[in-house]
Amino acid sequence: MNAFVKGNPDLCMGCRTCMVACVVSHTGRHIFELDPDDYTFNPKLHMVKTRAISVPVQCKHCENPACMAACPQKCIHMEDGTVFIDTENCIGCKACMEACPVGAIDMAPVSGVYQPDGKERYVANKCDLCREQSGGPACIRVCPTEALKLVSYEEIADTAQERRLAAAKANADGSLGAAAQAK
Amino acid sequence: MAKQLGAFVVGDSDKCTGCKACELACFTVHNQKSNGVGRTVGTVSVPVMPRLFLVKGETFSVPVQCKHCEDAPCLNACTKKAISRVDNQVIIDEKKCMGCKDCMMACPFGVIMLAQVYDRGKVLRQTTGEAVKGAFKCDLCAGREAGPACVEVCPHQALRYVDPVEERKEKMRRAAETLAITKTL
Amino acid sequence: MTMGVQEIEDAGLILNFGYNGADSHPIVQRRIIRARQKGAKIICVDPRVIESARIADIHLQLKGGTNLALVNALCNVIYTEGLMDEKFIREKTTDFDEFVEVIKKYTPEDVSPICRISPEDIRKAARLYATTKPAMILYGMGVCQFGQAVDVVKTLADMALMTGNFGKPATGIGPVRGQNNVQGACDMGALPNNYPGYQSITDDAVREKFEKAWGVPLSNKVGLPLTHVPRRVLRPEDPSKQIHAYYIFGEDPAQTDPDINEVREALEKCDLVILQDIFMNRAGQYADVVLPSTSWGEHEGVYSCCDRGFQRFHKMIEPPEGVKVDWQIISEISTAMGYPMHYNNTQEIWDEMRRLCPSFAGATYEKLEATGGVQWPCRSEDMSDKGTVYLHKGKFSNPDGKGRFYATDWRPPQELTDTEYPLILNTGREVGHYSARTMTGNCRLLRSLEDEPGWVQINPEDCLEYGLEHGDLVRLESRRGWCLSRVSCTDRTSPGAVFMTYQWWIGACNMLTNPNLDPVSNTPEYKYCSVRIECIEDQAWAENYVVTEYRRLRESMGIDVSGEEAAVQ
Repeated sequence: MNAFVKGNPDLCMGCRTCMVACVVSHTGRHIFELDPDDYTFNPKLHMVKTRAISVPVQCKHCENPACMAACPQKCIHMEDGTVFIDTENCIGCKACMEACPVGAIDMAPVSGVYQPDGKERYVANKCDLCREQSGGPACIRVCPTEALKLVSYEEIADTAQERRLAAAKANADGSLGAAAQAK
Repeated sequence: MAKQLGAFVVGDSDKCTGCKACELACFTVHNQKSNGVGRTVGTVSVPVMPRLFLVKGETFSVPVQCKHCEDAPCLNACTKKAISRVDNQVIIDEKKCMGCKDCMMACPFGVIMLAQVYDRGKVLRQTTGEAVKGAFKCDLCAGREAGPACVEVCPHQALRYVDPVEERKEKMRRAAETLAITKTL
Repeated sequence: MTMGVQEIEDAGLILNFGYNGADSHPIVQRRIIRARQKGAKIICVDPRVIESARIADIHLQLKGGTNLALVNALCNVIYTEGLMDEKFIREKTTDFDEFVEVIKKYTPEDVSPICRISPEDIRKAARLYATTKPAMILYGMGVCQFGQAVDVVKTLADMALMTGNFGKPATGIGPVRGQNNVQGACDMGALPNNYPGYQSITDDAVREKFEKAWGVPLSNKVGLPLTHVPRRVLRPEDPSKQIHAYYIFGEDPAQTDPDINEVREALEKCDLVILQDIFMNRAGQYADVVLPSTSWGEHEGVYSCCDRGFQRFHKMIEPPEGVKVDWQIISEISTAMGYPMHYNNTQEIWDEMRRLCPSFAGATYEKLEATGGVQWPCRSEDMSDKGTVYLHKGKFSNPDGKGRFYATDWRPPQELTDTEYPLILNTGREVGHYSARTMTGNCRLLRSLEDEPGWVQINPEDCLEYGLEHGDLVRLESRRGWCLSRVSCTDRTSPGAVFMTYQWWIGACNMLTNPNLDPVSNTPEYKYCSVRIECIEDQAWAENYVVTEYRRLRESMGIDVSGEEAAVQ
C-alpha cells in the first residue's frame, strides 16, 4: 500500500517552509547552490488557511488513483508505493486536476519552455514523495514544528486495531458495570 | 488577478441520459449569427455540427469536449498558427485554418473535427469551387454572457463548467478540514 | 522578557497578547505549540485570527485600540472574584489600593461594548488566567505600537503581580521583541537615555565612569528618539537644534517609519545622509554616502535574544573584498572624526563593555562558548554563575524590593474612523519576509511565496460591500498618503478592520500610518489609523503599474533588472 505525507493543523503555523523545501528538493541541488534564474517555483504541496485551520495539503497517493485513470496520455504511474507524474508526455489537459478529489494537482510552468503562441508550457504538478531524492520527503524534514509526517497503511491499520480493542474493552467494561449495578 | 488556467466543460456519465440536448444547443449557438439557426422553426439549413460529442458506449453515455489544455497539442501542432490562446482558452481561428488535419491527429481526446464551413446557410467555396473545410472545436461559447450553452440546457445537470483553479481551492479547503478531523493519527 | 524562551514550553497557561509568533518569530511559536501539546492552556488576545488564536482555548478577538480597557477588565474580574494571590500582594508589592481604585470601574459589562467581547468571555479568560499555574504573559507589537502602550505593559504586569506570577519558573511577562537583536541594541545602549547595560545617562556616577573609561567628557542630556527625527529636520522648534545629518545603519526608516512621506521629505532635506547596510533599500535612495557592510554570515559577534540571552555567533564565509564589518567602519569613522578608536577583534569590545556593565560582567566569551548562551544578569566571571533564566526571584528591582502596582484609564487611539475614512488599518509582519525586507526581498524563493505589492486582508463582508474579489488590486488612502495593494478576502480579519504588512515597496502601508507616539516609549501607533478603499476599474493598468513601478525603483537603486520579466501590456 502507498504511504503519504499528512499535515497536522494543530501543529502547523502556516510558515510554508515545506513549500520552499519542496521546490528546492526537486531541483536536486542544495539551497545555497541554486541558480536564482534557473528553477521553477512549483511547490507540490500547498498551504491552506481558513479561519480555523492552517495546514499544507498534498497528494494522498490513493490506491485507485482517479488522476491516473483520467490521464489520456498515460503519464501518471504507480510504482514502489508512490503515484507520480512523468511530465514528459503531459499536455496540461487538467483531466487529472479535475479528477483529484483533494486538489493535490495543479499546473505549473516548465521554466524556459514555450509553446508557439509564446505561453510557457504548463504541466501537471503533484507530490511524488521526493522519490528521486535521498532522505525522504523534504517537507517533513524541514518542518519547524514537526507538523508533517509520513503515514503508512500499517500505521493506520495498527491504530484501527488499537481502537477496536479499546472500543471492545469499553463495551465489556460497560456491561460489567451494568452487571455489577444489577446485583 | 489574471486568470491562471483555461476553463473547460466536463460531463458526468452518472447523470447523462444521452438526450443530445447539449449537442443541439451547441450547434444552435454557434450557427445563430452565421446561419440564422434557431430564430424560429424550420431555420436549420445546414448540417447539424456540434462542437461537443455525445458518446454512447454499451453501459454509458456522456458528452466529450475540449479540455483547453495548457500545453495544447493542437496548438503546438498547428503550422498555420490558426490555434491560439485567448484569455487562457484554446481557440481556433477558422479563417486561418487550411484544413491540414494536424490538430485532429494531435488531440488526444478526439474533440476536433473538420467540416464544411457555411455562411448564411450556404457552403463557403474556394476560388476553384471546392467547399472550404475548417477545424471546429469547443470555444466555451466565447462571448456568450450566460456561458456554455451545453451546461445551461442539460436537463439533468450532467455538464459542469470547471474553473480548475477555483475548484482546486475548494477541494483543498475540504481536504484541510479532513486533516483537522484525522489529526490524532 | 522576565522569563526564558525555553520556559515557554513549561507554562501552564500562556496569555498571548498582541503577539503573533507564527509570523514574527516562528522559532518562538514552536515553543508555544509545544507547550500546547504538553497541555498548556492558551488565551489569545488579538483583533485577528492569528495562528495562536486558532489553537487557543479562548480567543478574545477585541476591537483594535482597546487593549487597556480589556486588561483593566481582566484585572477587575480577578479582583472582584477574589482570585488574587493575597499573600504575594501583601508581602511583595505596594500601591495595590490605588490600583484597585482604577480597575474597579472597568466591569466586564462596561468594557464589553468597547472591546466587542462578551462579558462572559472576559470573565472566562480572567478566571482561567488567575487559576492556572504557572501562567506567563507574552506580548508583542500589538501592545507596544499604540499611542497608549506603556500603560498596557504596566497593567499586564499588574495582572502577573496580583496573581503571584513573578519570580517563579515559567511565569512573568515577556515582550517578545520585534527584531533579531533589537534586545542587543538596547543592551548595548543604542537608546537615547541609556549607556550600555541600562545605566542612565542622567546618573552622574555612571557618566563619570564612562567618561573615565573613554577619556572624553560626555553629555548628561537625554538624546532624541528615532521617531522625533523627521520633525527635528523639517520643523525644529529651536532652529539651532535642527538636524542636518542622518547616519542610518541596519534600518530603513523610509520604509518602516510611520507616515513615510514625511520621513522621505526629511531625508530629502538633510544635508548629509549616510546609509550603512548590506543591500540597497528605500532610505538608500536618499543617501549621499553608502557604506557597504557585512551580513550575518560574514562576521562574528554576540546576539542578545529577547529573553536577555547572549549568544555567540560565528563567521561562515568571507565577505567580498573591500567590505568591512560594522565595528570596523564605526572605529574608522570615529578615528577620522578625531576620536581614535581601535580594536583588534570583537572580544576586545565585548570585554571593555563587560567591565563597564555590572549586570553583563560575567558573560565572558569563554562562558558563552562553553554553555551555548548566558542570560543576563550575570555578574561573576566564575563559571558557576550561569546567568539568570527568570527575573525577580525573591524580590523586584525597585529600591524597596517590591513590585509596584500601576493603573490608569483607557484612552482610545488618536485617529478614529469616520464616514470619510471608515476602516481601521492594522499593520504587522508576515512570515517569510524579515522586517523591512532589505534582505529577504532579494531572495527569489521567498519572493515566489509573496511578492509586490503584498496583500491587504479584508473581511468577506467588506469585500462584498465594496464589490472586491480576492486578488483585485485596490488603492488605499489615509489622510497622509496612498498605496496600492492586493485584496486578500479572509475572515481572519473582522469587518471594518483591514490588515497590511509593512515591508512592501509598492504596497507600502506606512504611507498611511499615523505617527502618533506613546508619550513614554515614543513608539508610533502602527496598529491603528483610519483609511478608505478605492476600487480600481482598470485592473490591467494597475497590474502594469505594480510591475513597472517596482522595476523603476530597483533600477533607480542601481540593480540590474535586465533579466527580469518586463511589464505585461
